[in-house]
Amino acid sequence: MTSNMKTHAIDISSLKRDTRVLNMDDEEITLKVNDLRLCYGDKEALHGINMQIPRNRVTAFIGPSGCGKSTLLRCFNRMNDLVDGCNIQGEILLDDSNIYGRGVDVAELRRRVGMVFQKPNPFPKSIYENVAYGLRIQGVKKKRLIDDTVEWALRSAALWDEVKDRLHESALGMSGGQQQRLVIARTIAVKPEVLLLDEPASALDPISTLKIEELIHALKKDFTIAIVTHNMQQAARVSDYTAFMYMGDLIEFGVTDTLFTNPVQKQTEDYITGRYG
Amino acid sequence: MEYEKDGYSTHISQQFNKDLEQIRTELLTMGGLVERQVQDSIEALLNGDSDLAERSLRGDKQTNDMELMIDEHCTRIIARRQPAASDLRMIMSISRAVVDLERMGDEATRISRQAIELVKGGESPRGYQEIRHIGNLVRVMIRDVLTAFARSDINLAYQVAKQDKAVDQEYRSAMRSLATYMMEDPRSISSVLNVIWVLRSLERIGDHVCNLAEHLVYLVSGTDVRHQSLQEMRRTVREETETQDDADDA
Repeated sequence: MTSNMKTHAIDISSLKRDTRVLNMDDEEITLKVNDLRLCYGDKEALHGINMQIPRNRVTAFIGPSGCGKSTLLRCFNRMNDLVDGCNIQGEILLDDSNIYGRGVDVAELRRRVGMVFQKPNPFPKSIYENVAYGLRIQGVKKKRLIDDTVEWALRSAALWDEVKDRLHESALGMSGGQQQRLVIARTIAVKPEVLLLDEPASALDPISTLKIEELIHALKKDFTIAIVTHNMQQAARVSDYTAFMYMGDLIEFGVTDTLFTNPVQKQTEDYITGRYG
Repeated sequence: MEYEKDGYSTHISQQFNKDLEQIRTELLTMGGLVERQVQDSIEALLNGDSDLAERSLRGDKQTNDMELMIDEHCTRIIARRQPAASDLRMIMSISRAVVDLERMGDEATRISRQAIELVKGGESPRGYQEIRHIGNLVRVMIRDVLTAFARSDINLAYQVAKQDKAVDQEYRSAMRSLATYMMEDPRSISSVLNVIWVLRSLERIGDHVCNLAEHLVYLVSGTDVRHQSLQEMRRTVREETETQDDADDA
């Protein structure tokens, strides 16, 4: 008798339990949030958040409306700087340097940390120009380089096959789902390190939603992804780690598989199972 | 996290509450049916009562129907509600538990058939002492595990799992003495074999009850204790009870 058990040509000994379990200790960290406090005027919206976002993983933020998840996401590329009366304390380290430190080039930061919003917002230009826009702003002139990057970005966003014959038509003629993927292509064309997705699929139909989710899964090998979503099943489907926030606090942060089957905190349990808080 | 016994009734969706409440009630009802079936089959055998045996046989049809129904309800809840966390564990545990309950019903059916055979054969009862003894242990286990399910009491579930070890031990020692009977009197072999089949069924029922206890521990604590030692199970139960106590104190 041979030592390796096989049945139906499947090597049984290779089927191990829990091989997919993630462990934060083994992860490389892209973003580190240290005691982050944020006030809109007198009102404190984030009460000292501490967390780490691992590289090449999808981290989902869930929580009821107004819990601060979008606010936190917007801190990662300093979008809150544009809000009047917004005051931020604490630090966020991107590859160990504080993005709120002195002399940080915010435009460069936003190239490294791209963001996609709930509603697709393509520019009223051609599909090609939408994706090439970021490169042109950076001063890239070589047509060949731009062509290649546009194709790469559209392919990565799983859109190339649908639009390759009409690259020079207006982006506004595309469907909502296509527009959202175009926006993702535009974001990744400048090769960011982190992709922030704020409800990227909530305005889309179920099929487009699945395409976006599939895309998120494919993109995580090149990017670190943070996604805010109201759809808990979506968080469960796409993410490796999930953060549950409530009233400006990070209540629980853990491996998605665990958080959705056996959460530690009662508040998390109540939220994900749809109970009264 | 702390498991709330009646937590299923606090969903924002009242309909979801009703669905979960219903499925839980159905499981306990099915448990009651099986308990009755096992009880009747043992009584029928010990008292040579073939009417009772027939009743137990009829009960099995009901048990099978309930298995199908509860399974269907579990599938429907998964499809419509996408349950998570303790709700998900509840559905998983119930869907596993009905399989074990149905098997227990099948074993009871076997015992009832033996009872009918034995009445027909009119043979002198030998080894019935063992059947009575193990049967009593198993009956208590069934009662306790159903109580544990009704109250979400994992300490009681642990006691039930522990009791299964006692049943296994009794089963082995009964086997030894029955083997001795057969060696002493080869003419008794066929009747003793019938008794062995019954004991075997009772021992299997004990195993299924132990599985039910494990499903309950998973439901309450989130830790899957199947295929683990009794010590592991005790540790899980203890840890969970401590967290619950801490939560109560807070």
